[in-house]
Amino acid sequence: MRLLTLAGRRLLAALPALLIILAGLFLLLQLAPGDTVDALVAQVGGGDPTMIEELRRHYALDQSTSARLADYLWRLVHLDLGHSAIYGKPVIDVIVERLPATLLLMGSALSFAFAAGMVLGILAARRVNRWPDTLISTLGLVFYATPSFWFGLMGMFFFAVYLGWLPAGGFGTIGGGLQGWALFVDTLRHLVLPTLTLALIFLAIYLRIMRASMLEVSTLDFVRTARAKGLAEGAVVVRHVLRNALLPMVTLIGLQAGTMLGGSVVVESVFALPGLGRLAYESVMQRDLNTLLGVVFVSALLVIFINFVVDLLYAKLDPRISGEH
Amino acid sequence: MQFIRDYLRNPAAAIGLLLLAAVLALAATAGLLFPDDPLGLAGRPLQWPFANAAFWLGTDHSGRDIAAQIFHGARVSLVIGFVATLIAILIGIVVGALSGYYGGVVDDVLMRITEAFQILPNFLLLLVLVAVFGSELNTIIVAIGVVSWPPAARLTRAEFLSLRNREFVQAGRTLGLGDLRLIFGEILPNALPPVVVYASVIMAVAILLESALAFLNLSDPNVPSWGNLIGGGRSVLRDQWYVSAIPGVAILLTVLAVSLVGQGLNDALNPRLRNR
Amino acid sequence: MKLTRRELLLSSGALAASAFFPPFAHARAEAGAPRKGGVLNVHLASEQRILNPSLRASTGVYIVTSKIIESLVDLDADGKIVAQLATAWESSKDGKTITFKLREGVKWHDGKPFTAADVQYNALELWKKHLNFSTGLQQNLEAVDTPDAHTAVFRYSRPIPLDLLLRALADLGYVVPRHVFEGTNVLENPANTAPIGTGPYRFVQYERGQYIIAERNPDYWRKDQPYLDRIVWRIITDRSAATAALETGQVQLSAYSQLALADLDRLSKNPDFEVTAKGLEANQFNNTLEFNFRRKEIADIRVRRAIAHAINIPFFIENFLYGQGRPGTGPIPSTSTAFYPKDAKVAYPFDKARAEALLDEAGYRRGAGGVRFTLKLVPIQNGEDVPLFATFIQQSLAAVGIRVEITNFDYAASLAAVYKEHNFDIATGWHQYRGDPAVSTTVWLHSGSPAGSPWTNQYGWKSEKVDTLIEDAASEIDPAKRRELYAEVVREIDEQFPIWFAIERDFYSVVSKKVHNGHNTARWPSSSWHDTWLTA
Repeated sequence: MRLLTLAGRRLLAALPALLIILAGLFLLLQLAPGDTVDALVAQVGGGDPTMIEELRRHYALDQSTSARLADYLWRLVHLDLGHSAIYGKPVIDVIVERLPATLLLMGSALSFAFAAGMVLGILAARRVNRWPDTLISTLGLVFYATPSFWFGLMGMFFFAVYLGWLPAGGFGTIGGGLQGWALFVDTLRHLVLPTLTLALIFLAIYLRIMRASMLEVSTLDFVRTARAKGLAEGAVVVRHVLRNALLPMVTLIGLQAGTMLGGSVVVESVFALPGLGRLAYESVMQRDLNTLLGVVFVSALLVIFINFVVDLLYAKLDPRISGEH
Repeated sequence: MQFIRDYLRNPAAAIGLLLLAAVLALAATAGLLFPDDPLGLAGRPLQWPFANAAFWLGTDHSGRDIAAQIFHGARVSLVIGFVATLIAILIGIVVGALSGYYGGVVDDVLMRITEAFQILPNFLLLLVLVAVFGSELNTIIVAIGVVSWPPAARLTRAEFLSLRNREFVQAGRTLGLGDLRLIFGEILPNALPPVVVYASVIMAVAILLESALAFLNLSDPNVPSWGNLIGGGRSVLRDQWYVSAIPGVAILLTVLAVSLVGQGLNDALNPRLRNR
Repeated sequence: MKLTRRELLLSSGALAASAFFPPFAHARAEAGAPRKGGVLNVHLASEQRILNPSLRASTGVYIVTSKIIESLVDLDADGKIVAQLATAWESSKDGKTITFKLREGVKWHDGKPFTAADVQYNALELWKKHLNFSTGLQQNLEAVDTPDAHTAVFRYSRPIPLDLLLRALADLGYVVPRHVFEGTNVLENPANTAPIGTGPYRFVQYERGQYIIAERNPDYWRKDQPYLDRIVWRIITDRSAATAALETGQVQLSAYSQLALADLDRLSKNPDFEVTAKGLEANQFNNTLEFNFRRKEIADIRVRRAIAHAINIPFFIENFLYGQGRPGTGPIPSTSTAFYPKDAKVAYPFDKARAEALLDEAGYRRGAGGVRFTLKLVPIQNGEDVPLFATFIQQSLAAVGIRVEITNFDYAASLAAVYKEHNFDIATGWHQYRGDPAVSTTVWLHSGSPAGSPWTNQYGWKSEKVDTLIEDAASEIDPAKRRELYAEVVREIDEQFPIWFAIERDFYSVVSKKVHNGHNTARWPSSSWHDTWLTA
């Protein structure tokens, strides 16, 4: 119950930020050259004045900016995200269709990056400045510096085209009618390359932060005390070092929920995945305000939720931080 | 002196410095070695490296000398990296320090703003900014800086939160040190190492963000950036992979250099690691 | 005017022959007998907002919907008109009344019969009011009479050339069911994304961002057709990913030049695929250079000609486009046999010395750093060749002392910058030629389009003479005279040079050799694929 109140308060506190973002983006995009009708006409390769005028009316673009903004916010109060210009149906439906792919991709990439980053970071820190550390750290830096679209495309050519081990893209075999285990395996195969591609840079970050904070923490007094008390090295690592070293790692998860969604724009477009990232990109390119704001709204809720969880974890992990923080 | 010796004792850090010096050297000698416009038509497009003595790194899909673009591109990438990072770090440190130190209302307001920026996926905000303000290089640099500061702020704040109740701060407070003095003189130096590490991260991300924009054909086509070269080479990725691989390696090495230097600085700055 | 069946004469013998025989089913000998079954996977390069070809004319819409919804007529392999939902047609002497006989025994996918009332509704409510390119074409359409269930009589207030109308109707004559659309908000009708038609395939599913599926229509009016069980369109926006999908067998067809030029070049050497421009002749495109006369340097004809002389088009085609293209000779491409003027030529061939001389003569001498003046170039993004051509223009003009700054916009913004705000000095993009200059080419030249209409004359240039020629040609019903009027337009454009149709390009398809009866019409990716089959 206390948790729910806390979450409710969080959400309430985030409302102003949310409002600023939505209104800010709305106004910002008004400054953009071209509107959704231009984008539509661009896509179909031309149109005549009658049709264009008719469409502007259809999308209410003939009304003033303030009227449309007020209308949008008013509808938002009723939790109505409006109609998508690109997809011709309610924005909420479009988002619900796209959410699974993105959640799956982000979830798998995040878990992979976190787990592998943690393990590699610990390994590196335990062998600091020796060859495993050098190898792991260098590898991490190389991962980090690789443009993800380049890695994705290369991975696709190597594993899908040359070796034929993995599918080249998409989110599942179309019309396969797969169920149960087969569906799981099929989805998994489609997710391997995108997950790796998206996770690469985050893996590198987690690895480095983990290594750094492990080194940092292991020199702190209480760890020395623990060692002096004669605790086994493994127990020291798990009970004292790891727990404290996890703090910055956990912070990063909260930080990167948004970044990851941004990264998935590129990954989703390389691997033809039907996710929110590509939806957002398309709605910017097509000037589809309702869809863009809808995606931002939903991802905002997602980020707020993740950060809430992170803060709870944080409080649990670090006894020095009390109550609200 | 002690600091430099500490830094150089770390071979990785030394290599990083060497690499960074090499990138700086590329940037410095670009005008000397390749006085012609690096975006000008130099020869037949898509000549392989070493195939033609005139173009030892070959030519790209628009018949431009890749070597010239690598040299001139070093300038562009360094400028993008440094300036965008500077913008991001400055905003981040100020916001994070104030927020973490004062807490309360200040923290609430600043964190709401930070949250607002984080809620928006940074690449998406970047796309919107570029869609609205165009893709001129200066615009792109500022836009990258503007979308990159929240992690630095959060990191700084987290450090401040855990440091502000430490003994040495409380000691300073009892000594009657002012807030500014405490923030920038006492806490910040201790809070800095993760932020410094993160500065190299931001710089790397800045360079990568530009290349991702170029991948979507939204970067400034009037400057010889490595990102543009990768983006352009994308259409010939399968057969003339060198067009995107060469600038890819250039980016990789630069980012590597920045990261190694960042890490070396961190290790050298961190007094607790000095004896390891 | 009432016509009996006997009086309904056809306008030409060739049309008659193609109208009464199955149009192209066995036009070309194919190895073996058609096999029933199989799934054809097709690359779709961009998400479509709606799947209704009587509201939106674009190749992206046709490549999907033409299998589900049929147009009144189609083209054969030689680009001649053949019957589809219309079986015969005739124009009155004054060119103002066009009578169509409609196919009998055709049923919509929901089981209702297809009748003249459907055509009447589509023509008046959709083609005339909403469909791009068509609202201009049909602006003089006053009424459609339906004397019986299978006759539709189009009445125009001005004469309309029958050839123009028929050619246009292949693209702009798709018929959707009246009973589904009438009385609804047509732009938000659910059938726009779950199309219902008369075609050989029935719509099954549209999974946004992923795929569209259609399946065999068992009640199709061509007995025993179609052959395929299903067609799946896979939405793959990344070009390299699309190539990978072809090579791994995930898709068997990518049409309308949606792959990277380099990949086309490589796939043409792959024995499993055919790379072909055949079957896409109905559409051609040009890489263009548009001039903004509001800029005083550009308004000088010598500067415009100098710019053309400065750019080595054959070199660009050979080295940048993998040889795909021909130097442009004006607004009408050389493949348009019905309209290409005999005396068409490259008006301003590459001649750097001439370019420099013209610029000097115009009074723009080289100043500091050898620069005469600076121009702002807006690439109107469309495919990879537009940025490439923009770069080449920049490089070429630098060599004659004109500095070019490329302003990169995304697609919507570039259209707005050029055609709405006129915020450019020169721009480069695509002009699409759709079989007849009156469909989508003359709007590039005729004055008076309001700002904000993309791909129209927004150059700040106007020629009374060209306007008159275009208007006359649009209602000239004598084909020979019409051709001569357009030849005059081409000559006039060459002379005044308000826009440069720099390179003439074909569309390309990449198709797996497993696909048979492919590319056997002049607009095959937009045809119904009723006779297409796959080897196992």
